[in-house]
Amino acid sequence: MSPTPSPSARPISEALLNRNRFRFLGLTPGEIIKYFFNGNAVVAIVVLALITIFLFREGAGFFGQNMQNLRIYRLAGLEYVDFIRRQVDEHTAMNRALNESRLAQFNRLTAAGRTVEEVNTALAPFDAFATAFGDSVEDVRGVLSDLTEVATAIKQKDQVNRDRLEQKAMLLGAGKSDEADKITVTPVDFAKETVTLKGTFPACQAANQQFAGKLQAALATAPAMPEAKLQKQIDTVQAQAQALIASLPEIERQMQEWKHDAPIPLSRSFTSFLFGRQWLTASFWQDWYGIIPLFVGSLLVSIIALTIAVPLGVSAAIYVSEIASVREKNFIKPCIEFISAIPSVVLGFFGIAMLGTALRALSQVSWLSWFPGFPMSERLNSLTAGCLLALMAVPTIFSLAEDALNNVPKHFKEASYALGANRFQTIVRILVPASLSGIISAILLGFGRVIGETMVVLLCAGNRIAIPNFTEGLGAFFQPVHTMTGIIAQEMGEVVTGSIHYRALFMVGIVLFLLSLGINYVAQLIVRRYRISIG
Amino acid sequence: MNPTDTKTMQSATADPDSADAAAPAMIEVENLDFFYGQAQALHDVSIRIPANKVTAFIGPSGCGKSTLLRCFNRMNDLIDVARIDAGRIKIHGVDIHHADVDVIALRRQVGMVFQKSNPFPKSIYENITYGLQIQGVKDRKQLDEVVEKSLRGAALWDEVKDRLHTSGLGLSGGQQQRLCIARAIAVEPSIILMDEPCSALDPIATSKVEELIQQLKTKYTIVIVTHNMQQAGRCSDQTAFFYLGKLIEYSKTEKIFTNPAQKQTEDYITGRFG
Amino acid sequence: MHAPANPFAGQKSSSRSIERVAFGVCRSATYFILLCAACIFGTILFKGAGTVFQTTAPFINVPFLTQAPETLFVFEHEGVKMKMGDKEFRRFKEEKGLPDIAAESYVYSSGGIFPCIVGTVLLVVGSMFIALFIGISSAIYLNEYSTHGRFVTFIRLAILNLAGVPSIVFGLFGVGLFVAFMPLLQNFDNPAAPTLPVGFGHYLNFSGWNVCLLSGWFTLAFMALPVVITASEESLKAVPMGFREGSLALGATKWQSIRTNVLPYALPGMLTSSILGIARVAGETAPIMFTAAYVVRDKMPWDVERPLDMLFQGVMALPYHIYVVSSKIPQNEYTERVQYGAAFVFLVIVMGIALTSILLRIKMRARYRW
Repeated sequence: MSPTPSPSARPISEALLNRNRFRFLGLTPGEIIKYFFNGNAVVAIVVLALITIFLFREGAGFFGQNMQNLRIYRLAGLEYVDFIRRQVDEHTAMNRALNESRLAQFNRLTAAGRTVEEVNTALAPFDAFATAFGDSVEDVRGVLSDLTEVATAIKQKDQVNRDRLEQKAMLLGAGKSDEADKITVTPVDFAKETVTLKGTFPACQAANQQFAGKLQAALATAPAMPEAKLQKQIDTVQAQAQALIASLPEIERQMQEWKHDAPIPLSRSFTSFLFGRQWLTASFWQDWYGIIPLFVGSLLVSIIALTIAVPLGVSAAIYVSEIASVREKNFIKPCIEFISAIPSVVLGFFGIAMLGTALRALSQVSWLSWFPGFPMSERLNSLTAGCLLALMAVPTIFSLAEDALNNVPKHFKEASYALGANRFQTIVRILVPASLSGIISAILLGFGRVIGETMVVLLCAGNRIAIPNFTEGLGAFFQPVHTMTGIIAQEMGEVVTGSIHYRALFMVGIVLFLLSLGINYVAQLIVRRYRISIG
Repeated sequence: MNPTDTKTMQSATADPDSADAAAPAMIEVENLDFFYGQAQALHDVSIRIPANKVTAFIGPSGCGKSTLLRCFNRMNDLIDVARIDAGRIKIHGVDIHHADVDVIALRRQVGMVFQKSNPFPKSIYENITYGLQIQGVKDRKQLDEVVEKSLRGAALWDEVKDRLHTSGLGLSGGQQQRLCIARAIAVEPSIILMDEPCSALDPIATSKVEELIQQLKTKYTIVIVTHNMQQAGRCSDQTAFFYLGKLIEYSKTEKIFTNPAQKQTEDYITGRFG
Repeated sequence: MHAPANPFAGQKSSSRSIERVAFGVCRSATYFILLCAACIFGTILFKGAGTVFQTTAPFINVPFLTQAPETLFVFEHEGVKMKMGDKEFRRFKEEKGLPDIAAESYVYSSGGIFPCIVGTVLLVVGSMFIALFIGISSAIYLNEYSTHGRFVTFIRLAILNLAGVPSIVFGLFGVGLFVAFMPLLQNFDNPAAPTLPVGFGHYLNFSGWNVCLLSGWFTLAFMALPVVITASEESLKAVPMGFREGSLALGATKWQSIRTNVLPYALPGMLTSSILGIARVAGETAPIMFTAAYVVRDKMPWDVERPLDMLFQGVMALPYHIYVVSSKIPQNEYTERVQYGAAFVFLVIVMGIALTSILLRIKMRARYRW
């Protein structure tokens, strides 16, 4: 540096020019630094892209494998056997209903002060009916178990073949062709194998006839019930049984028409995943990967959580942003923020250890018994999980809704006050409508947080893979469910990498991922609209 | 001579009334068109700013005077949508947008004082030496000298010499602004740009800064943007009047204020609009 | 004599009482939330305190914090009911010369949770460094360097969407990428995985890092990224533009002005608000279940032959341990001790981090005002 500014033009123009700046790969240091930071910012895009790529990379194989799974189901005749199995299953369900109604009668009579022997004698006609009803299916059951064995054997054979092929390919890949040659693979002749299955058709028909006859006979002996409610139960069973008998010819027709090599449309692989009502894995018979029970479970738990969290979160937001004093505000806001940091596994543990038991105890209080679904049969159910998830959703909903309320221009509020409205009227008529889209997007993001939450539902939702019985009305909210997040967490650790089950779990992950993106997108869309409407 | 006739460069820059016509031009602007995105902020501006004089830019808000000022040290580079479509700016005969011109070196030569005083939240001493330290000057003695010289130059030394190591934010508004001037002259630029330096100051602080400007012009070329016509009259040698992105009139200050050539200038100065 | 009616007198109208009731409802909803949270904290702290503290000096149950989990044996010996951990039980059998004592065993119910604490701390610290480094750098780019354009919009969109991705999906992603795909530099050609020869007899085998610290770090770090970036950007925005302009006008390069006049003032804010996000991530279980956590591991993380091996090993982690002891093993009176104890310690660690962050932020807001 020259000690004084030079009056002449030369040094200044010289100072401005800098011809030999340091460069590396054609970049100045400033540019290098810029690209370094730029690179880090790109990580966000890269991660999102990688998530997409790897989910799809691992999940994509599912459809092929599921197709194979469905094809074997048909080729090996499992589908054929399931025609009869469904018959037996329906009968079993009716039998269970009868048992339940017997238990109800038994309880009613013992409560009336009769001894056990007296009750048993009183119920003798009913028992005779129930036994006859139960036994009517025996012939069909016999046929079913024979057929099951045959079909399983075919499937087994195919599996063995497949393993051998794989082994051979591996040996060939390793260059051990002589060893590979030793492995002989004889493809299973499904046509020949399933002939045995189809050959049993007359026997099935005969068994069905027997079954229909016996069932009719049993139904004729149905005793009259002492109470309207019980009578209704029996009537339902009657109707169901009649319907089953009526459907027998149709089932037989389907069995007759069934072909082991009938083509399966490619879309079946998708539809059986997206609309499948069964998630059944590691079963001896046939695995099903249908996401519906899990999806419904996730949805049910989220609905419960939001039903609790939305009123709480939004009113807390209104309270803090409009009503509370500054001191209260400074206390409540960090506290709620603090709640969002509670680890989900601790919440889940709390649910198992305390909340589940407490809720069930509450449901057993006699003066609450009018409530549908009370008393709860399970300690861990959708309600337990939903309550805890609500606590997780509250901070999200609260802080976003509070932001939305704060963003309402001050003059809206002032104009309302100037017209003589009181604070409540201003809140309800001006503030909430003006920030409604912000609040809705807060709720949506809360929904996203809840449906993506894992540990709480894994620990507290009861983990029963079944679509809740919505015929019970509100009672459905107290049934145990399994969720999409829960199933991944529970089964991921136990599956073989690359197996169909592994890929099915990734497919569930993809559904979750797309769902979260969708929720985000809608939330942003709403917020953007909202900004324009205010501006 | 019609100063707005900018098609011929000589006509706008030469000033027949001025004895400074022969003085070396420090900054030369030639036919500058400047855009913010689609909006044109400067229309075909040409101006010659002489060395060691105070030049004032006046005009109503949004007339482009600050924009032009920020072109001189390429502060507009920081704005994404800003771009120069046509024209050149030369400082000491060097086109400042030439590929070989280092913007860093340019800004060392062209200091700037902002509308809102912006001392760094560091000590007064660190504020002054910041410009030197980023150039790698570590010599404690040299830094001490520069601090004293700059603060004396900014007429602040006597007020702060006992608390050089307290925060610059602890000073009053006027002192803060003079600190910013001291900070600017510490790196020994040849030009100092001042963007409404007194708009946030009370009259007493303003008069101190104006005094300072008079002292500084012996060593530096000063360009000052101001809203305050009295200020322009009091402390500038040359005055340029801008309106709607155009240079309307540029001449000696006395002439502009006593005998403006353009009707618009006269209207503005007499307060009929703006 | 009647005073003239006061036109400004409060009117007893129904709207007044509606207002009062509505405000009451809002207030009670707010405090209900706080009450629920307090209830959960209270239960876990109260019950967990029974495990972590004791009535005799040194008042803290040191073995619980410094020992590995052990199987608990409950048996009767000479008419006395005894409870012992695995090691103690074996010693006892040797001393008494009894090879077999009929005993009921309860896994993980004795001993402590030391390896879990160590694992959690390692996971949190590692992922925190990665997340802060990438996150702060990204924020600097977005706030200081980027120009408005499609590219930046795209980055922001990605960050926004990343924030909504469920934690379990991050876990799956971790499995797909880190556990099963990332390359290892090895001196042999792994036939079971795609391989890229790099010369000198070494190969990049894309066989994945397996379940290990490194996989967990990156999975957690990527999860924390959106929060860190958003928090850091906010802190950067809070630094007045004048600091940057003033510095640039003095001839500082862009990076000099960021380094000397932006980062020093933004960094404290960045760190404190990022830490809250990190606390939330530290509390997650789902992402580490398949990427970094082991149910049980006998060796401590530092029991390795080469220092680098430390990164390529799984660890025990508190959240996963809590999950295991609260749902994977049969529940009984003996498991409660370790359940509440572990939950207590974990809660204290995570909430400690969060509390520090919140308090620091409140303090900082008061200090930095310009």
